[in-house]
Amino acid sequence: MKITWNWLGEYVDLTGLTPEQVAEDLTSAGIPVEKMASMNLGVEGVVVGLIESVTPHPQADRLRVCHIDTGTKKLQIVTGATNVQAGQKVPVALVGAKLPEKHIELANFRGLSSEGMLCSASELGLDDKFLPKDQAEGIWIFPEDAPLGENVVEYLGLNDVVMELELTPNRSDCLSFRGVAYEVAALYSREVHMPDVDTSGVATVSDKPLSVRIDTALCTGYSGQVVTHLELGPSPMWMQMRLLAVGMRPINNLVDITNYVMFEWGQPLHAFDYDAIDNWEIVVRQAKDREVLRTLDSQDRELTSDVIVISDHMKGLGLAGVMGGENSEVRVTTTTVVIESAMFDPITTRRTSRLLQLRSEAALRFEKGLDPDAVLPALHRASMLMVQYAGGELVGAPVITGKALISPGAKQQILVRVVRVAEVLGYALAIEELEGFCRQLGLQTAREGAALSVTVPARRPDLLREEDMIEEFARLAGFDRIPSTNLEGVLSHGGLSKSQKLRRMARDYMRNQGFDEVWTYSFVDAAGHRKLNIADDHELARPMMLLNPLSEDRESLRTTMLLPLLDVARYNANRQWDALFVFEIGTVFLPDAKVVKKGVSAPVEKKMLAGVAYGSVAKEPLYAGRNFDFFDMKGIVEGLFGRLGIANLINFERAVYPYLHSGRSAEILAGEKPIGKLGQLRKEVAKAYDLPSEVLYFEVEIDAMVELASPHLYVAELPRFPQVERDLAVVVNRNLPVADLFGTVKEAAGSLLESVTVFDVYTGDHVGQEEKSVALRLVFRAPNRTLTENEVQLAVDQVLLQLHSNYGAILRK
Amino acid sequence: MREQLLALQEQALVDLAEAEGNALDAWRVQYLGKKGALSLALRSMSKLSAEERPIVGQVANAVRETLEAAFASKFAEWEGKQAAKQEEKETIDITLPGRTRSVGAEHPLQKIIRRIEDIFIGFGFTVEEGPEVEWDYYNFEALNLPKDHPARDMQDTFYLSEELLMRTHTSPVQARTLEKRRPEWPIRIIVPGRVYRRDDDDATHSHAFTQVEGLVVGKGVRMSDLKGILLTFAKELFGENQEIRLRPSFFPFTEPSAEMDIRCIYCGGDGCSTCKHTGWIEVLGCGMVHPRVLEMGGYDPEEVTGFAFGMGVERIAMLLYKIEDIRQFYQNDLRLLKQFASLPE
Repeated sequence: MKITWNWLGEYVDLTGLTPEQVAEDLTSAGIPVEKMASMNLGVEGVVVGLIESVTPHPQADRLRVCHIDTGTKKLQIVTGATNVQAGQKVPVALVGAKLPEKHIELANFRGLSSEGMLCSASELGLDDKFLPKDQAEGIWIFPEDAPLGENVVEYLGLNDVVMELELTPNRSDCLSFRGVAYEVAALYSREVHMPDVDTSGVATVSDKPLSVRIDTALCTGYSGQVVTHLELGPSPMWMQMRLLAVGMRPINNLVDITNYVMFEWGQPLHAFDYDAIDNWEIVVRQAKDREVLRTLDSQDRELTSDVIVISDHMKGLGLAGVMGGENSEVRVTTTTVVIESAMFDPITTRRTSRLLQLRSEAALRFEKGLDPDAVLPALHRASMLMVQYAGGELVGAPVITGKALISPGAKQQILVRVVRVAEVLGYALAIEELEGFCRQLGLQTAREGAALSVTVPARRPDLLREEDMIEEFARLAGFDRIPSTNLEGVLSHGGLSKSQKLRRMARDYMRNQGFDEVWTYSFVDAAGHRKLNIADDHELARPMMLLNPLSEDRESLRTTMLLPLLDVARYNANRQWDALFVFEIGTVFLPDAKVVKKGVSAPVEKKMLAGVAYGSVAKEPLYAGRNFDFFDMKGIVEGLFGRLGIANLINFERAVYPYLHSGRSAEILAGEKPIGKLGQLRKEVAKAYDLPSEVLYFEVEIDAMVELASPHLYVAELPRFPQVERDLAVVVNRNLPVADLFGTVKEAAGSLLESVTVFDVYTGDHVGQEEKSVALRLVFRAPNRTLTENEVQLAVDQVLLQLHSNYGAILRK
Repeated sequence: MREQLLALQEQALVDLAEAEGNALDAWRVQYLGKKGALSLALRSMSKLSAEERPIVGQVANAVRETLEAAFASKFAEWEGKQAAKQEEKETIDITLPGRTRSVGAEHPLQKIIRRIEDIFIGFGFTVEEGPEVEWDYYNFEALNLPKDHPARDMQDTFYLSEELLMRTHTSPVQARTLEKRRPEWPIRIIVPGRVYRRDDDDATHSHAFTQVEGLVVGKGVRMSDLKGILLTFAKELFGENQEIRLRPSFFPFTEPSAEMDIRCIYCGGDGCSTCKHTGWIEVLGCGMVHPRVLEMGGYDPEEVTGFAFGMGVERIAMLLYKIEDIRQFYQNDLRLLKQFASLPE
């Protein structure tokens, strides 16, 4: 909402105040003034002049010579503008004048002297986007009644300041000068004076009938005034300038008056051509389904029954509160209009304006809800302005119908307890002070013991209950008066949940492994799975879709962390990072049919720890030699499980994923339950992302780890007897997983086996082509004695026997 | 005999002075070995008389000790030289780079969240979380934002269906927590999390960003308590000398509502371009929990009151780290992120 200082001054006395101070005080009272600008950007020495004659320049085809009368002087001015004609009044910058971007001096154009300059609107520093095109492109042609010789700063009212208010949604009352005036009055304890709207003394004629019927509950009040003998023309310059200043395009006197009154009272008005109304009966009704109405922007709009239509008994005349119809538009031939001032359902107006994408100043006000007390004053005010500035005559009294206007409900009463004010704010305000604040706000009060009964006028629909009044008191007292205190009452124990602690730990762990933390967006391209070689019918390829995405590449909710992490890898690979180690703890969204509510189901949200890595293990090129590989990444993951004390609960099993190397990928399992994936990216996937051929990826579900992690740590007793080691090299089939050997060894060796590790895997000339030799180190120990050679040998024999019978393993000599 | 031994000693010391490496070993065999010169000399002692024998024996022992000591010292000297030679051979250029085990960087937003969490944990708050895909009810209705409320325009929303949306703030966790905990109090929580608004991405807008929400509900909770806790928080996060200012504002779920400003951390309040020459910077929104929200959550606003606040993590990170484009948090340019491996708190 924009306001101007001088315009505001018509409704509240601003004597002794400056725009700067008011802006600051409004801001700290919760009506932030976002911008403030002088309307005069540096215009000086420009006057209204009359063009007496225009003649061609003898030496130049494109120039014209104008003879100007400024009332006190006759001037010769050369111009390049093509829209000048004798008899026009124009802004004349005299020699020595200042314009925002020019300084005017005596000039000579091809042998003829030019004693000044004729100006366009933009040369005067005005935003010409709301001016008619012919006005904006050439010299600004003033109306005929512009006073000859007057300084245009005076004439155009440029000695004014425009303020832009950033209103919060609850303060729709300040979408009018009246509302802002009440706010300023409250801040400085002044009175609001609205213009006289008593039409009783205005002469009327009575030969044009009008009736109104409301056929829908979505309109609670409708008033109309017929005005006749109108002369369509431009509105007075001061009115045009004020509308321009608040961002409204001047159109003609009738439309400008309805808009001017809207800004003044906050009540949108509409003027219909009276002669377009069949039988002079207005019917307010809901549209028929698929009813078509051509709005005054010449668009045919197909309507539904959710839209309120102003009509006669034959046809629609306009969309209530949103836009008029083309058939009832005020045009050059119009001499009689109906001014409409009505109340339409805010939600319906809001839906209609959104549906048809017609966001007008009127719709904005309707959808925030109107003040019923302003409906009739606005109608009267517009009627009187039409009499004054468009030569109109009122036809009888206005037609008034609808419950909100005929029998308005009782005003809102709010009981405010003095003690409650102190309880909520933390400091006490005396009842006298509260009464004073109410007076400033223009609210009536009555004492009820230690409470105030406050009567709220309809212009403040945001004041509904005690807390709303407490806020009013707090802001008028100033929020600075609220002291700083400490919370009282029982102590509470703060902290992190198990899952939150684990995530912090996992982050620290990953960082200590040299991985940088990244944060990626949750929205991805729904076709992104194809880049990962994932088939269209795969569960990861069926993400939740946004109904209203901003772009195709962010249209769905990610189902895997791999997609965004590969984007990170590509982004950095393209910036010459030849090694990259990144991780993220992020949410994936998996569609789930289980939790259905109101016909839809929310996705399962899983927090994942995921990482991507490629490049040299050593950071310094000097020591580069080995690339980060599968076992590096597996080691990172195993280390994490070790850190959580759950390593012994986790298995890695060979698995196949569409985007991972089929021979270098594993499923991470806790018992039978899959909790993650690990592997090297398929070469073609890596290539599609401009990445090197060896890229490693892993992901683990955070909550699965949380479930496994034990809160306890029990220390094992230190061994008291020595261990005995035995190294065995066995030859087995090349494809046999070493983990299988471990399992058999542990089973066969019995309780004396403390650990088994692998220390060499050999393939080559000394074993068969389909074979490999695996060197195992077995460590034996008994808790209560030193083991004998025999005991150990017996266990080893058992191991070899079992390995042979399970896998045909032979001890390598 | 005695002269013979002393001459032997003299000769041996002369030889030793010149011996190096293998020659040293040979010297030891020659003079001190079982068949060496000294042993031979002693063997001939049997020919001496009983009176002479102890005297010559003494001399012989003295000679052996002298030679052994001389050898030990010579040998040590030689070994030292050898070691020095070896080390010289093994000398490296210590100015070459070390093999670093670099520690990864903490994401700047995570860094801020951790700091905020720790501050409020110190105040006795627990950390709560909620889903990012949220029901209309929790995101709006339970927060006093019924359908078609104009204030819904403040937050352009991504929808998945008519009822399901991407949460536009972390405030739905307020509603969820009230519902879960009722009728118990006190509630003292903060809620970090990702939220979504249907805004085109530019330097100051992001369709996804991060908030930290706070909620306190209990008996006799006052707006002055809100101011007190926010002041302490501002001092912890922005510096001991911070001041705060509350300005009236509007949120549908608080009443009274306020914006909190801190003194501009760049100019200290003198006025600069960051604070638009006001000396203050807006960092969070807050207020007393609206009675409707308490009622919908199952609490009696006559029995308990509460306050809530919410802040944008990106905004704070941009202020503290002088980052000028919000998109940089999600671009994950390692040249930027790696700077957070070494940044102090």
